[in-house]
Amino acid sequence: MRAREVYVTGYGLVAPTVLDAQSLFQRICEKRSCVREHPLFVELGFPNAAAGFIDDQQWQQLRAGFDENPSAQPRQTVLAEYVAKQALQHAGLQPEAFSQVASGLFLGANKYCANSQDLDLACMCLDERGSLDLDRFLQRQERVEHPFARRVDQQTLHLAKRLGIRDHISTHSDACAAGTVAIGSAYRAIERGEIDLAICGAVELMANELPYYMFNSLGALCQKADVPAQQQSRPFMRDRSGFVLSEGAALIILESKQHAERRNAKPLGRVLGYANFCESEKMTSSSRDGSKYEHCMEAAIEDAGLLRYAIQHVNTHGTSTQVNDSCEAHALKRLFGDLLDGMTLSANKSALGHSLAGSGAIEAVLSLISLRDGVLLPTLNYDAQGAEFPELRFLSEPLKQSINIVLSNSFGFGGVNSSIVLGRA
Amino acid sequence: MNGSHARQVYLVDLALLNAAGSSPSDRYAAAQPAQAPTFKLDRLARPIATPRLAIDLFERKIQRSVEAQGLRLLHCAARLAPALRDLQLPAERVALTAAIPEVDAPSPCWDAVEAIREQPHKLLGQLFANTPPLHALTLLNSSVMAYVAEGLRCNGPMAGYCSQSNAGIDAFIEAVTMLTEARADAALVVSSSPNITPALYLREGTSYPDGTDADIYGEGAAAVLLATVAPLTAPLVIRVAGWGRAYSARVERAAALAERVLEQALSTERVNLSDVELLVADERDPILRELFAPAATPRSSRDLTGDLGASALLTDIAYAIGDSRHEHEPRSRYVLLMTRSRAGHCGALLLEIAKMEKGA
Repeated sequence: MRAREVYVTGYGLVAPTVLDAQSLFQRICEKRSCVREHPLFVELGFPNAAAGFIDDQQWQQLRAGFDENPSAQPRQTVLAEYVAKQALQHAGLQPEAFSQVASGLFLGANKYCANSQDLDLACMCLDERGSLDLDRFLQRQERVEHPFARRVDQQTLHLAKRLGIRDHISTHSDACAAGTVAIGSAYRAIERGEIDLAICGAVELMANELPYYMFNSLGALCQKADVPAQQQSRPFMRDRSGFVLSEGAALIILESKQHAERRNAKPLGRVLGYANFCESEKMTSSSRDGSKYEHCMEAAIEDAGLLRYAIQHVNTHGTSTQVNDSCEAHALKRLFGDLLDGMTLSANKSALGHSLAGSGAIEAVLSLISLRDGVLLPTLNYDAQGAEFPELRFLSEPLKQSINIVLSNSFGFGGVNSSIVLGRA
Repeated sequence: MNGSHARQVYLVDLALLNAAGSSPSDRYAAAQPAQAPTFKLDRLARPIATPRLAIDLFERKIQRSVEAQGLRLLHCAARLAPALRDLQLPAERVALTAAIPEVDAPSPCWDAVEAIREQPHKLLGQLFANTPPLHALTLLNSSVMAYVAEGLRCNGPMAGYCSQSNAGIDAFIEAVTMLTEARADAALVVSSSPNITPALYLREGTSYPDGTDADIYGEGAAAVLLATVAPLTAPLVIRVAGWGRAYSARVERAAALAERVLEQALSTERVNLSDVELLVADERDPILRELFAPAATPRSSRDLTGDLGASALLTDIAYAIGDSRHEHEPRSRYVLLMTRSRAGHCGALLLEIAKMEKGA
C-alpha cells in the first residue's frame, strides 16, 4: 500500500463523432467506428481519405461552450477548455478548487500544424534573399491569430490561467505516449506529496493536411485505400497495413485519497502504477522481440506493487501498423506467458484511429469506464480467424465482466514507451 | 517541496553552446555585439552557427535530418558522452530528461516555407516526402530524445518538457527526483532554446514583455550529467542541495510565489538566504531583485547569451560554476539559481559547490 493513493474522480473527453466519454464507450460497445472519410482529405485528393476527425457540428458545440471569443483562440485551446469543464463537472469540482490546494496541470500535446495555405502565404512574403518580410506577412494575415505564432504549450497556459493552477504546469510532447506520460507525471506528483489535485491528459488535433503528408511519407498510415474507412484500423490482424490518423482530447481529474475523502468525492478509479522509458531501439519501431515493451509494462506493474497475474485486462497501444502490433504482441507473450489465457485485451484505436498524444488519455478514460461498469470493449475489425496472434484474447463483442486492474500501454515514435496501471475504485 | 533526499545528487559534467561560447568561464567574458536578424531589423539577437555532430556517436543522416535546434542539443549531449561512459552504468540505469521548447512546430513549418520558395513547382506532399527535415519525425520532440538516448545509451526512465523558460527547471527537478527515488543512478538533462526564426517573433506576445531589452533572443543548448556519486577527478564537487517550484498566472501573486519557492529551495538544507554566496537570476527581473534585496543583487549570463528560454537554467548553472571564487577561495559555498517566467512559473535550485581536495 502506498503512502499516498491516487484517485480518479472525474474525466472529460471529446473524440471523433462524440462529445463525451459515455457516448464513446457506448458507441464502441455497439461496434460503431468513429473513423470516416475526412471531407478535407477528399477535397485535397489524398489517396486515402480515412480519418477520425472532429466535425463541423461538433466544433459548433465546442465553440458555443467557450467562455471567450473562440475565433481569437487556437482550436486546441477551445477543445481543451471544453473537455476540462466536463472533467470538473464530473468530479464535482469548481475551478476555484485548483487555487485552494496544491494543484497541477499536466497536458500532452504534440504540436500545432500550419496548413498549406499558411505556408503559401508565408512563402509569398519572402524577399529576394529568402527572408520573410514580417510586416508584409502580418499585413496579409486575415485571421486574428498568426499560424506561426501558435505554440505547443498554448492550451496549457490557457487552462492554467483559467483554473488558477497553483503549483505545477507542464506540457508533454512525447509523441504517441504524451497523454499517458502526462497522466503518469500527475500521478507521480500526487504520490510524492507535491500536489493534492491534478488535471491531466492530452489534446491533439492532427487529422490535418501536414501530418498526413508527414506520416504518409513514413509509410505509417493505412495503405489500403480501397478498404472502407471504418474498417481500415485493424490492430493485430494479419491484414493490417498502418494506422488511421485521428484526433481528440481527454482530461482526467486525479486527487490524493486524502483530498478526495475530505471533500466526499466519489472515486471512479485509481492510478496504481506507471513507468516510462526512452528505449531508442529504432525511431519507428521497438525491439522486434518485444523485450523493450515488456520491460516497460513490467516496471509499471512493479511500480504498482503488483505481480503480473494481478493484471486482468490490457488496453494495448495497438496502432494497426505491422511493426508496432507485432512488437507489442511479442512483449505481451514474453511478460504474461500462460497468464494470457485468463486475460482479455482491447485495442481502442480499431474504433478511433490514432490520435497520437490524445490516444493514451482517451484510452485511459475508456479503461476507467470498463473498471467502473464491468464492461469490456470489443476490438473492431477483429476476428480470431484473421488474427496474427490468436493467443491474445481480443474481444469481438462487448463482454460484461467485472475486473479490478487494467494495464494501458502507449508507445511513441522515437521509442518513448509508457505503461500505466489503473484500478477499480 | 523537496522531501528528504536519501540519495545525494551530484553534477558530474556540463556542456553548453551559445553566443558567449562553450565553457563555463566564457560566461564572464565581454559580451559580443548582438546583431539584427535579416527578417527583423528593428530587433537584436544572438544567433549561433549550427554545429557539426560527432560522427562517432551519431549517424551521418542525423546531421541532415534534424533541424538546427536539435543539432545544438545533440552537440552538447555528445560532449557528455565520455563522462557518462566513465560512470560505467548499464543503459537502463541512466535517465534522460529534456527541456525542448519548439523542436516541433513551428520551426519545421518554417523550413517548409523555405522549401516551397526554393522548389515552387513541387507539390507540397513531394516536399514533405523528400525534404528530410520535414518528415514526420521532426514533428516530435521524442525524435531528438531518441537520438540522445541512442548515441549516449541512456535507456532508463525519461521525461520531456515542452515549454519556454520553466521547462529547464522541470527537466532538472525530474532528473534529480528520479535519482533520489533510485529509479536511476545517473541522469542526462538536455535543453535547447528555440531557433531564431520569424516564428519566434510572431509568438513572443504570448510569453515575453513588449519593448524591454530582455527580448534579445539567443540561440543555444546546454546539457548536464547528474549522478548519485560525486566525480572523483573533477576540480569541483557540485551537489544538488535543494529545489523549489510553483506557478501562478496571477501577477499579483508573483512576489509571494517567489518567496515560497525560495523557502522550498532552502528548506531541505536548512539554510537561510544569508548563507548563499552567489545568486544567479535575471538581474532585470524586478520581483527577484526585490526578493534578494538588500542582501545581494542577482547576476546571470543573459547579457552575453541573450534570452535562451528552456536552456537558460542549465546555462546559468555553468555561469555559477565558472565563478572564479571557487578556484581562488576554495571552500564549500551555496549557490542559488532562480527562474521566473512571464507566464507565471517560478523555480529555484540550490547547489553546494566545493573545490575537490587534493588527493581526494
